[in-house]
Amino acid sequence: MKRLLPAAKYKCLSLFILLLAALQSFGQEDLEKELGNTAPKHEKVRATFKSTKLINGHTNETISRNELDFRIDHRFGDIGGDNGGIRRFFGLDNATDVRIGFEYGLSDRLSVGFARAKGATEVQQLYEGNLKFRLLEQTTDDYIPVAITLFGSTTVTGVKAAEDPASAIAYRNFSDRLNFVTQVIFARKFNSNFSFTLTPSYVHRNFTAFRDQNDLLAVSAGGRAKITRRMALIADYTVPFRNGDDKDYLKQLSGVKYRNTLGAGLEIETGGHVFSLNFTNATAIEEMQYIPQTTSDWFKGQFRWGFSISRRFSFNKKNKDTEKK
Amino acid sequence: MTRACHNKSRKTKTMKRSLVILFCALASLSAQAQNIFISKSASISFFASTPAEDVEAKSDKANSVIDTKTRNLIFKVSNTSFEFPKKLMQEHFNENYMESDKYPVSTFKGKITDAVDLTKDGTYNVTIDGSLDIHGVVKNYQTKATLVVSKGTINAKTEFKVKVADHQIKIPTIVFAKIAQVVDVHISAVYQPK
Repeated sequence: MKRLLPAAKYKCLSLFILLLAALQSFGQEDLEKELGNTAPKHEKVRATFKSTKLINGHTNETISRNELDFRIDHRFGDIGGDNGGIRRFFGLDNATDVRIGFEYGLSDRLSVGFARAKGATEVQQLYEGNLKFRLLEQTTDDYIPVAITLFGSTTVTGVKAAEDPASAIAYRNFSDRLNFVTQVIFARKFNSNFSFTLTPSYVHRNFTAFRDQNDLLAVSAGGRAKITRRMALIADYTVPFRNGDDKDYLKQLSGVKYRNTLGAGLEIETGGHVFSLNFTNATAIEEMQYIPQTTSDWFKGQFRWGFSISRRFSFNKKNKDTEKK
Repeated sequence: MTRACHNKSRKTKTMKRSLVILFCALASLSAQAQNIFISKSASISFFASTPAEDVEAKSDKANSVIDTKTRNLIFKVSNTSFEFPKKLMQEHFNENYMESDKYPVSTFKGKITDAVDLTKDGTYNVTIDGSLDIHGVVKNYQTKATLVVSKGTINAKTEFKVKVADHQIKIPTIVFAKIAQVVDVHISAVYQPK
């Protein structure tokens, strides 16, 4: 023992004390210590948003495996301005766009969707197929601080081709009717009451009106703030980055000025439904349309009432999921 | 150079000694801990029948510990570990009813009131008395349990009823029909000596 260094002696002593401590009987508190840390590691943040979409833009949410989301989006006509007012019953006489969509969860991270929309501009009868994939999921311990979801869609237009070659629908073959949207959706649930999302988008339209852009980049931001347990305020904003020259040309030619889209509304969640009552200047619902083609202006009363209803169905057999594990 | 070598060998010797002591200590610790039985994957399920649909969920990730000497026991389950066949229900369970971000864990702390010797093989029907903490509300419970001790492991099974209102779990009227007021809870755990 005498050859031991002082540090080692100290170690021996502390081990001896430990031994003595171990001989003590266990009380409730010690028993709890025996259990160790039972908190799950890197637990995933659930329900960043209540729905796969806010108002115009997507959220990071996808549909769980074997579940189906049925969603109806509706946009009425302008509340004010030339096309609104009492004669149009503040827009309720018109529907600028209606979209009926289904999304199905192939896995808890990948969902596939199909939708039919009326289409708000002359580009109408839209058929959309999409895939949405959760690349990263935020964890409660901030091991992963943000969620990232990828969204891709292809939209085919069914409208009859126009003769006028400068028109946005002067299609000559099928591929002219294809439109593509790619989005990288970043989202973070800051606390149980507030979630935020930021989304860069790339929109490619195979065919557009003369001097309109085939390729367009845009960025969107959106948020959800809970006001009661079942109600939340939601808003989103999209800024498309248009090429200046083409923008000026189109403005001179037809007086069309492109706008950023702003949506604001109230989201109400009941058991299996999510309702959203909202106002937005975007006339269209499909990404390939509202991102590049929004021309109506909030300040001219050209915003509309809109609503969406989302209903979730589950095809998971009772306990099949739980018993397997 | 030689001096450095000498120092090194001396250090190694000391380390060896410390290691031996450490092993002895560990051995005695484990010998001491014979009365501690742990279950790291206890299963807990609940079931509630309502006119609209049956609500059921299960977790296999509960943790529990029994001290066979004092007959104290603790049972803990992370609320988010419950798996529902319907994921939307799971979301509502955590967000609206259990408020899992505020109250992440449900805990039972209790004692086996019968004087049973759990070191001997056999089947014991016992009464467990303790407090259940769900949704931040602690309530006293007494339940019957069956413990089967065999070959150094303890198999435990119990079931009891929890009144949702007892733990101040608020259920909005809009989904009233979907949620039962009384929930049947089933627990089974296999304990291994620590």
